[in-house]
Amino acid sequence: MKWVKQLFAALCVFLAQFLLVDFLSINMIRPDFLVIYVFYISLVYGKTTGIIISFTIGLFSDLAGVGSYFGLAPLTLSITAYLTGFLNGKYERFLPYVFHLCWLTIIGFHFFVISYVRFQTLFVTDIFDFAIKWLMSFGYTMMFFLITQYFFPVREASRA
Amino acid sequence: MRKIYLALLKYKDHFIILIAVTLSISLLFRNDATDIHIIRGKFSDRFSMISFPFAWIKSMTQLEKETQLLREKNMQLSLQLESMINANNEYDSLRELLEFKQEHKLELLSAKVVNMGASSNLSSITLDIGSEQGVQMDQAVLAPEGVIGKTVVVGKRSSVVQILNDVNYRLSVRILPSGNTGILRYLTGDVCEIRELQKNAKISIGDKVVTSGFSKIYPKNLPVGEVVQVMDELGSFQKVAKVRIKSNLGALLHVFIIIEEIDEVG
Repeated sequence: MKWVKQLFAALCVFLAQFLLVDFLSINMIRPDFLVIYVFYISLVYGKTTGIIISFTIGLFSDLAGVGSYFGLAPLTLSITAYLTGFLNGKYERFLPYVFHLCWLTIIGFHFFVISYVRFQTLFVTDIFDFAIKWLMSFGYTMMFFLITQYFFPVREASRA
Repeated sequence: MRKIYLALLKYKDHFIILIAVTLSISLLFRNDATDIHIIRGKFSDRFSMISFPFAWIKSMTQLEKETQLLREKNMQLSLQLESMINANNEYDSLRELLEFKQEHKLELLSAKVVNMGASSNLSSITLDIGSEQGVQMDQAVLAPEGVIGKTVVVGKRSSVVQILNDVNYRLSVRILPSGNTGILRYLTGDVCEIRELQKNAKISIGDKVVTSGFSKIYPKNLPVGEVVQVMDELGSFQKVAKVRIKSNLGALLHVFIIIEEIDEVG
């Protein structure tokens, strides 16, 4: 039953990402709902479930249309799920700011890898411009993350 | 055996991430494999069916704006037509003088953009036509403003187009009027850069950039953009030109695929 619920939730998030992000696109930068979902799943259910779901959802995301680097989404999402899994049930053991810094670093790293692959020419020619691109795509998704955080606080998810 | 099983159970997280990473990397290395293209083509067909109603809603919301734009464009074009007719007559007479009779006609296929992928960064679009309509792999895709990409995955009723801002996209271009050729690649926003330009090339801001025709995919002289900056590369025998592309890649609704280039040599 748990798996059916998770599959349904994963399908909804995937469809939202696939169908709605065009409407939310600002200057070709779009939110990444998949990473938010993967983060919460790994935080609540741990590494194993997180990696399996993130790999599957990443694979479908790439199958839905990608120019090059087919396989990048499952790779980055799986690594994000694996790293986030370490935070499962750790909220009480860490200082709050350390805990929040950890998950922010994980999400930031995810966007860094994506941005590096995507704007590698810019990384070589103008690192400042690259940093802006990275922070913009990270920041835009974080906006949606904060909205989600209001309804499902990270500390509650970690305790679950 | 039991020990291995227990170890796998104990370290299942690490074992699963290892499998996931290995699979992902093997997929990354097999990007150009035929079986991967076939699978992607089939999935592209299914996904385009799902996204079609949303594409329809999107095009409906933008219809009024687009109609207004088309009216304005129509007026501009009808004014331009007159001057072009005169220019064409002059061109015909000059061509006859040179005894050079070669024309290039392009057979175009109109397509609707049904999806822009699920990735957080746009690098491909999905079109509503595929092999059943005559689309093949590696065919040039145009917007009214110029080249925007090429087909990379072709399903029966849909195709995935690698667009200009994809990191692996390269285009052989010519700068007019100087005629220098170089390789164009995406940089940021609506700006691309042309490399492999000779240091002594005479390039000015505002020069037109068109396809060179060296590639089998793109016929020559298709518009690409306009030069906005020219730089000398230090310690190199090359120049770098920055080019602004006119097409708004983030808001494409309709595009054209070049199905065939008909050469008429007379």
